[in-house]
Amino acid sequence: MIKLENLTKSYPSKLGPQYIFRNLNFEFPTESSVAILGKNGSGKSTLFRMLAKSEYPDRGRVLSNKAMSWPVALQTGIHPQMSGRENTRFIGRINQVASLTDYEKRVQDFAEIGAKFDLPVKTYSSGMRAKLVFACCINIDFDIYLIDEATSVGDPTFRRKARRALQEKNKTAGMIMVSHELDQIREFCTSAVVIEDGALKYFHALEEGISAYMEEK
Amino acid sequence: MELSFKTQLRGWRTVIFALFLRELQSKFNDKLGLGWAFVEPFVFIFAMSFARSLISGNDVHSVPVFAFMMIGLIGVRTFLGCIGSVPNSLKANKPLYAFRQVQPIASVLTAAFTEFVVKFGVIVLIAIAIYVLNLDFELKDPMLLIVLYFLLWTLALAISLIFAVLIAFVPEVNKIKSMLSRPLFFISCTFFSLQDIPEKFWPWLVWNPLVHIIELARYACYPSYGNKGVSLEFIFEVTGVCLFLALSLYHISWKKILSR
Repeated sequence: MIKLENLTKSYPSKLGPQYIFRNLNFEFPTESSVAILGKNGSGKSTLFRMLAKSEYPDRGRVLSNKAMSWPVALQTGIHPQMSGRENTRFIGRINQVASLTDYEKRVQDFAEIGAKFDLPVKTYSSGMRAKLVFACCINIDFDIYLIDEATSVGDPTFRRKARRALQEKNKTAGMIMVSHELDQIREFCTSAVVIEDGALKYFHALEEGISAYMEEK
Repeated sequence: MELSFKTQLRGWRTVIFALFLRELQSKFNDKLGLGWAFVEPFVFIFAMSFARSLISGNDVHSVPVFAFMMIGLIGVRTFLGCIGSVPNSLKANKPLYAFRQVQPIASVLTAAFTEFVVKFGVIVLIAIAIYVLNLDFELKDPMLLIVLYFLLWTLALAISLIFAVLIAFVPEVNKIKSMLSRPLFFISCTFFSLQDIPEKFWPWLVWNPLVHIIELARYACYPSYGNKGVSLEFIFEVTGVCLFLALSLYHISWKKILSR
């Protein structure tokens, strides 16, 4: 369960503060996989980053007693100058995994990027990067995984593998996903939160959420 | 979820250690490697002090010219090195703030710590060189010298943090910073002694805590040099005020820095 309490978030701009959310109160369950749906600029990613505590609201709080992953997206937390292995070890260290060697090996096996694991990440294709980030995330035990289109660039084999891993995790953990591709959302999620004009709405069944989201347009 | 103080402290330690390793690794990516960070200031300080001691006489107010120059240059280089690189670390590590464990101050602390380790290495190199070349050097009060060095480092860290926060909001402050730090090299008693300046001009110089630190460091090595016009209390006061200002500035603004 995640609870948003009196949440206000704005970004400074030349035209004065741009409010994304104003005094938002909301609650939604996270036992199943939740998709966050909304138009461009509606605040999906902002909400997502606030859930992960990568950013903080101006006022109000995000309450949850679950261990959440970092927002897994293509660019986050990966140093392009450093090799895949070094990046993996960094992520393992700050998340205090029990055994670094063990973690490193599991990531290497899962990511399937072969010898390139020891080359700087800047030489990777975007698909390989996505594989690495996803592998780093899924091999740490979180209660809720936050995934931001990171799986969309992987090849079908990897996507199948990712889905299997997530389904496996789903027995014990939840997932929150942001994506524009409905196919992908159908593949991974079972319920939805729709953002419209700074207001949130929870749908227990994914299809209801999707149709509400489509009607907006 | 309440976390005990001990677990929090452990968390901070892991993050700073991980960032520290990352910083070292990225320095190793350079063709010249980490060694350059040690060699460059060492050669600079050593050559400059040596050249000066060849040109001008034997001693300045009973301190051998080589030791006199060396202390001044180490002081100024430590401070300027810190001010030059540490404020940028706040921005350089920006992608990492996606991990909620990594907070902006952790990267500032790590950068300052790295700077400290490197400069300490340079001091060790110089000490070895002095010993090997059998140069004239004495150290009367090592405790005072250590206290001074830690104060210097804390002061540099505090001022770096202030600049880091300001630069995060107004990037142009970076230009002002480099303009302000350039004359420091010349007004911090690096090349001259405060005693050589007529006393009526002292107020123009002694506002600068670096003058106090450098002059007292010479006094700590050679008590006959004297400590007229400078005081340890002043350094403590300035460091305390700067540190307080830096931490409060950071405290009110760090969450805003994240969304920039």
